Amino acid sequence: MRIHYPRRVGICLTGLLAAGALSMFADAGERSDTLVVALAMPLTTVDRLYSVQREGLILSQLTDDGLFHVDPESLEFVPLAAASYEWVSETRLDVVLRDDVMFHDGSRLTAEDVVYTFDWVLHKDSGTSRGPVIRGWLDSVEEVASNKVSFHLKVPYPMALRDMAVSVPLRKKDTYAEVGTRAVEQPLNGIGPYRVTNFRAGREIVLTRFEGYYQASPKANPAIENMVFRVIPDQGTQQAELLSGGIDLMLDVPPDVADNVRHLPNVVRLEGDDIRIGYITLDAAGYSDPDTPFRNLKVRRALNHAINRQAITEYLVRGSAEAIDFACHPHQFGCEGSGPVYAYDPDKAKALLAEAGYPQGFSFDLWAYRDKIMAEAIVSDLRAVGINANLRYVKLNVFSKVRNDRDMSAFFASYGGGGTADASAITGVHFVANTPRNYSGDEDLAATVLAAERTIDPEKRRALYRQALNRIAEQAYWVPMFSYSQNFLLSPGLELSVPKDGVPRLWQARWSH
Amino acid sequence: MLNYILRRGFLALLVALFVSFGTFALFYFATDPAQTIAGEDAPPEMVEEIRQEYGFDRPVSVQYVEWLGGVLRGDFGESYFWKQPVGELIKEHAGVTIILALSSLMITILIALPLGIGAALRPNSWVDRLALSIAVSAQAIPNFWLGLMVIILFAVTFPIFPVSGDATWLHYVLPALVLGASSVPAVMRLTRTGLLDVLSADYIRTARAKGFMGYRLIFQQALRNALLPVVSVLAVQLGHKLGGSVVTESVFSMNGLGRLAVESIFNSDIPTVQSLILIFVLTFVLLTLAADLINAWLDPRIRMG
Amino acid sequence: MMTTSETVNSPRFVAESQMDGEQVDTGLGLSPAKAALKRARRHTGLKIGFGIILVMAFFALFAPWLAPHDPYLQNLPLRLLSPAWVEGGEWRYLFGTDHLGRDYLSRIIYGARISLAIGVGAATVGAIIGVTLGLLAGYYGGWLDQAVNFLVTCQLAIPSLLLIMALVFVIGQSITVVIFVIGATHWVFYLVVTRSATLRLREMDFVAAARSMGCSRFQVAVREVLPNLSNQIMVIFTLEVAIAILSEATLSFLGLGIPSPMPSWGLMIAEGKTSMFFQPWLVILPGVALFMLVIAVNLLGDGVRDVTVTDRRS
Repeated sequence: MRIHYPRRVGICLTGLLAAGALSMFADAGERSDTLVVALAMPLTTVDRLYSVQREGLILSQLTDDGLFHVDPESLEFVPLAAASYEWVSETRLDVVLRDDVMFHDGSRLTAEDVVYTFDWVLHKDSGTSRGPVIRGWLDSVEEVASNKVSFHLKVPYPMALRDMAVSVPLRKKDTYAEVGTRAVEQPLNGIGPYRVTNFRAGREIVLTRFEGYYQASPKANPAIENMVFRVIPDQGTQQAELLSGGIDLMLDVPPDVADNVRHLPNVVRLEGDDIRIGYITLDAAGYSDPDTPFRNLKVRRALNHAINRQAITEYLVRGSAEAIDFACHPHQFGCEGSGPVYAYDPDKAKALLAEAGYPQGFSFDLWAYRDKIMAEAIVSDLRAVGINANLRYVKLNVFSKVRNDRDMSAFFASYGGGGTADASAITGVHFVANTPRNYSGDEDLAATVLAAERTIDPEKRRALYRQALNRIAEQAYWVPMFSYSQNFLLSPGLELSVPKDGVPRLWQARWSH
Repeated sequence: MLNYILRRGFLALLVALFVSFGTFALFYFATDPAQTIAGEDAPPEMVEEIRQEYGFDRPVSVQYVEWLGGVLRGDFGESYFWKQPVGELIKEHAGVTIILALSSLMITILIALPLGIGAALRPNSWVDRLALSIAVSAQAIPNFWLGLMVIILFAVTFPIFPVSGDATWLHYVLPALVLGASSVPAVMRLTRTGLLDVLSADYIRTARAKGFMGYRLIFQQALRNALLPVVSVLAVQLGHKLGGSVVTESVFSMNGLGRLAVESIFNSDIPTVQSLILIFVLTFVLLTLAADLINAWLDPRIRMG
Repeated sequence: MMTTSETVNSPRFVAESQMDGEQVDTGLGLSPAKAALKRARRHTGLKIGFGIILVMAFFALFAPWLAPHDPYLQNLPLRLLSPAWVEGGEWRYLFGTDHLGRDYLSRIIYGARISLAIGVGAATVGAIIGVTLGLLAGYYGGWLDQAVNFLVTCQLAIPSLLLIMALVFVIGQSITVVIFVIGATHWVFYLVVTRSATLRLREMDFVAAARSMGCSRFQVAVREVLPNLSNQIMVIFTLEVAIAILSEATLSFLGLGIPSPMPSWGLMIAEGKTSMFFQPWLVILPGVALFMLVIAVNLLGDGVRDVTVTDRRS
């Protein structure tokens, strides 16, 4: 009955395999005008006003422009859609707009659009992710002429240009009028060098070069016509895709993977700095539990001594990363804490714990949402001094909920602040009053940090930051861990460099063949 | 017969309702959907507003009935994480899972049936032993590990088939193989036992002994009889592919319902998890019902009794 | 992964439920137990399975003395060391080290504890639930039986992996939770067998006799039904142990099983996945361990069934 089967089956299978093999080669070589980037975390929206992820920042630099932008070489804030600007007083900024900026739908950018965008962000019900920050310093915006707007600040704020560059992409008037905060679902109408031609949430975002983009912009005439962002959450899959040519660029590659792949011929490794730091926040104020051991200064200091930050940085983070001692990134202006510094000393840690009344150690939940390996290493170090840390590794949205509810006794997180080279980027988010990330409960510290943000004089700011950073270290509110080094993996032939702030400017990418 | 269908159908619905209410209550008591919707940087006042606006502070039974009402109208709610209607999410992801389930079922059939038949025709021969060893091994290999081994093999050593994604039919070959392999032991054993039973029946043995010319015909009849229970088991197996798709889709990074379910659990995305569990249960229950009906139709004895 | 309802429909199980309470006729004048043992000694599969399990249990029990290192001891400078037989490896760390520099051999040895504990634990929980419900349903009948039947249909219809994941996510990850949740979703097998045995027994004379002597229904049920069922329960138990071990491995692999830093084999495979193209042993070794343990349990179960019941098709 089955005598002839094996032969027939064999022929079919061979044919299938051949067809399969051939089809793999079919589309190689067609993609010199396209760059395919892998995204590890899905973007739920392409609208930068409503997302906070680093990948969102990279994407929005392609699809959006603000009045200013961060120059990749100098890291300074220079005009982009703005033609010029002037600080009329410490609390008033006048900006003259360029007249050749076009939206993706073909209409021109006018002062009305700028006013609309900022009014929307200022509006307390708009729900934008940076709204609260902007509302902290901006009072109002008004149209002075058809190509000129005037910003009225509540207080002197040295980072005004930064916020405008990083957080406020310009939108056309009435973009959100009909749909309100659900605008995230509609097609994006920006003024950037690329426009969104296809967006499938969680799967893929396709961009095409916008031919109406203003020539005078430093971002003008990008070499690559199409950009595709594909969501591939699994690291192993990203690697496989890169090796087989399915994608061209991997972001945020774990150092182990980057090391391994270095040997392969069809992959190029790119290393770069990253203004991002990792840290552990301890519930010094006792928000999560009035009896938490972290209310005790000695316990907090014990943790600082117990963790071998040097080894973790050297072996797990690697690259250009460094262990840090203060709540800021070494490249940031104002990051000049002087002390105290806690050396790795498990015995001292145990002694401090005993003095604090925990000779047998204690248990607590350590929350984290990224860098699982580092978190595990931390757990291991703590275990060695008798502290039983239970690692709660969850997704970012779950993590945020618990953190914002002030239900965490300790968490390991990282913060990049969009790559801003100023200490305010980190302290301003973590140690001012009324931010859910502030578990110190220290009002004086909050006042100092706020003052540093309201002062324009650089020397005064440096002094204030030194004071704040020293206070944070002295009270051990944090265990500052390390700065990051970034690894990217590229297909051969892709030319891309990474600026010092760690944010790749994809509009600079080009294929060399 | 109609009675039978109605009774079983009603039972199926009841089961689905019971299970879905259970999961609904589970999440109700354990998570806070308001914060998930509000997003990570939302101030507490906004979270509270959302809680009131969506009615999350009402009793669980009230919320469940409301959700159920929506489902009956075709409205599965909106995903907390994706900010999209769940119905759309399901439509986008269902295709992959259906194709995966069907193709893996095909693989199971292609492997298990010939093996089972061969083993039954030549008991205790090498075919029989091979079949049994395969069954024993396939039962013991963790499905996800088999997937990883296959990926390592095909990504590095023999780069013939893609090891991730779901863009072309080629992408389904390896996952279907891995998912199909898990059902092979059960189906193969059932085929083998069933056929052995039938073959040892008197009329077959007599026909064989006498070299009866119509032996072939009778044998085919016997095969049909033996395969009846297999057919209905296959329907049930198809239902299991849904459960198996959770692991396979995760390992091969395919955008199907299984992976959506896993991601949604981690994201605390209750409407999606809720709806997916309901769909899985309903599908399985309907497939089991179909299996019973096939049996009843093919075997008159069940119908009457 | 094999699920409960696949096994319910498998021919082996179907045959089981039709063969309870039968005495084994050895024809040799030996007692059933002794005859079974005699057959066991000649049954290759059973010997292999039993042997492997014995070795693994030995390692699990004496892990603190047999494991060369502390499985939790982190040693970052020595991370991702190759196994001794691959270039770059050291004999001190026979199976190499993982991403945190922990000795892999030690972790695999300690992992046997987790797999065995969860396998046996979950199967026991399932047995307790299933047998109890089976006795109740079989003996009291009526609405109780209907209710239990309904529960069974629900249990079979649920995608158990998803439900377990949701439960663990909500309750929290720990060994106890995993054991109970897996056990609580794998009891159908026991119930079906117990219930049908109980139903059959209801008919028999000696039950009526016992009742007339004043024993309560339940006492009768327990005393008469359970001993006759012990063979079948044993076979089902081994099957369920294998299923539980695989379930835990899958859960831990997906991230909702045993939490790190415990050396669950499934978790170890997940941790090794990122570097699996370059350090494949991280994924291969725990998988082989799982495979061997589960095959051993299955062989044992098959073997026990073979030697305690006659009239098997061969």
